[in-house]
Amino acid sequence: MGVILDGLVLGLQLALLSVGIVFVYGLGGVLNLAHGQVAVAGGLVAALLVQARQHPAVAGVVGVLAAGFLALGMDRTLLQPAYRRKGEERLLLALILTLGASFALDGFYTFRYPNVALSLRLATPSVEVMGITVRTASLAVGALSLATFGLLLAFLKGTRLGKAIRCIIQNEAGAWLCGVDVDRARSVTLFLSGLLAGVAAVGQGFFSFLGPDMGPEFTILSLIVAVVGGVRSLTGTFLASLLLGVVNAALSYWVGTYLTWIALLAVAVATLLVRPEGLLAYWP
Amino acid sequence: MLDVHDLWAGYGDVAAVRGVSLRVAEGEATAVLGPNGAGKTTLFRALVGLVRPRRGRVRFEGRSLEGLRPHQVVRRGIAYVAAERELFPQLTVLENLELGAYARPDGLRERLAAVFDLFPRLAERKSQRAGTLSGGEQQMLAIARALMGKPKLLLLDEPSTGLAPRLVAELYRRLDLLRRQGVTILLAEQQVGAALSLCSRVYVLKNGTLAFEGDSSDLRGSSHLHSAYLGGA
Repeated sequence: MGVILDGLVLGLQLALLSVGIVFVYGLGGVLNLAHGQVAVAGGLVAALLVQARQHPAVAGVVGVLAAGFLALGMDRTLLQPAYRRKGEERLLLALILTLGASFALDGFYTFRYPNVALSLRLATPSVEVMGITVRTASLAVGALSLATFGLLLAFLKGTRLGKAIRCIIQNEAGAWLCGVDVDRARSVTLFLSGLLAGVAAVGQGFFSFLGPDMGPEFTILSLIVAVVGGVRSLTGTFLASLLLGVVNAALSYWVGTYLTWIALLAVAVATLLVRPEGLLAYWP
Repeated sequence: MLDVHDLWAGYGDVAAVRGVSLRVAEGEATAVLGPNGAGKTTLFRALVGLVRPRRGRVRFEGRSLEGLRPHQVVRRGIAYVAAERELFPQLTVLENLELGAYARPDGLRERLAAVFDLFPRLAERKSQRAGTLSGGEQQMLAIARALMGKPKLLLLDEPSTGLAPRLVAELYRRLDLLRRQGVTILLAEQQVGAALSLCSRVYVLKNGTLAFEGDSSDLRGSSHLHSAYLGGA
């Protein structure tokens, strides 16, 4: 049972990480291959601030904001040439631009901050919850992720801009014609994707470990989630994250870490074969 | 009200609209006729900023629309109902209408009542998803959503596409009602008869240029003009 709970917590973090890549794709027609590096930026900033003896809460918040602004910066500069194109051309150009950015950021992190790692190892006693022994750290990460997700949902369902973002995902031209500023909504979405990725990375750093070289891993994980969950569905992303989190934790526990990547990719391939639209994609 | 002068627009290397000038007078209904590929849709898309014109100028109520993005054009009071309707298929009829009022959220309730009055069918279907409506109902919803923004000028791109003749007649009766309520209309159409019944002013586009402009009575009375420009339709 403990394994399942660990898996669910991992899944919640995956959800935070992936929802950004999914939303940016659904809204902007752009896959951000530097998404993991954006997350790492948040973690690194938090780590540097903690080293500089800032309060961990301050460090965490600033780190999350840094990730958000990095993503926003990419939207306003790097991705502009891609936005001027449509469909496949936009997707391909953005793939190359963000891939380049991911290499540049990775290089910068490992060259400039090779030994900076965020690991507070906050005192994490184990407690019993309903007969299961869990680390309080896991509970804290789970609660943080759930709370963040709740805020996201409240934004999407409860605000005008949130509703506009949902309608752009369904029909961009329709949104323009209703008077929605799609460019601005896209920037907001990139910013949000950065914030969410930052929360995931800082959470990971505070309660387990985050290194400067973990960007590619984060990106690939969120891409797998996007494939399994369907690239246009928030609920799908959420469920896929939980599923992959549990699969990951169970395999690490019973088989060994070396197989988990293969297993995750196998789940993705199986999804593509059985339900190419993803678990919960909209029916046509 | 709308004044278009020497407008050029298109995609890639091809200019689909080549030097079109036209005027739309306030309170009138004006038609742009022409076969498929004549440039009607590109003209409309250029007017609302979905396509950036290459040359020429567009003035609306005396102010230039140059460089405006579509959402800004909408806020100036021009609504565009595309031939593809561009609805939000997963949202309900009511949600689609509410999004139509995105730029002007005030007075939502009165405007909802007004469009339900014009299209009672939509009131019956208001909690149904837009994607499940019939073609005629989708067209009504697209027009109703455009009206939710309280436009001064309504651009309609081939509103009769895919509708049975009986529905076309009904749709045009509603459009006539709208015009009499003071909404200025510019419409692109292939169904010449329907368009002429509503519009007083007519432009005919052929291969991206204007082939004819005049009053609809000129066109109605002349089988020669008809066959020359509209293939005898």
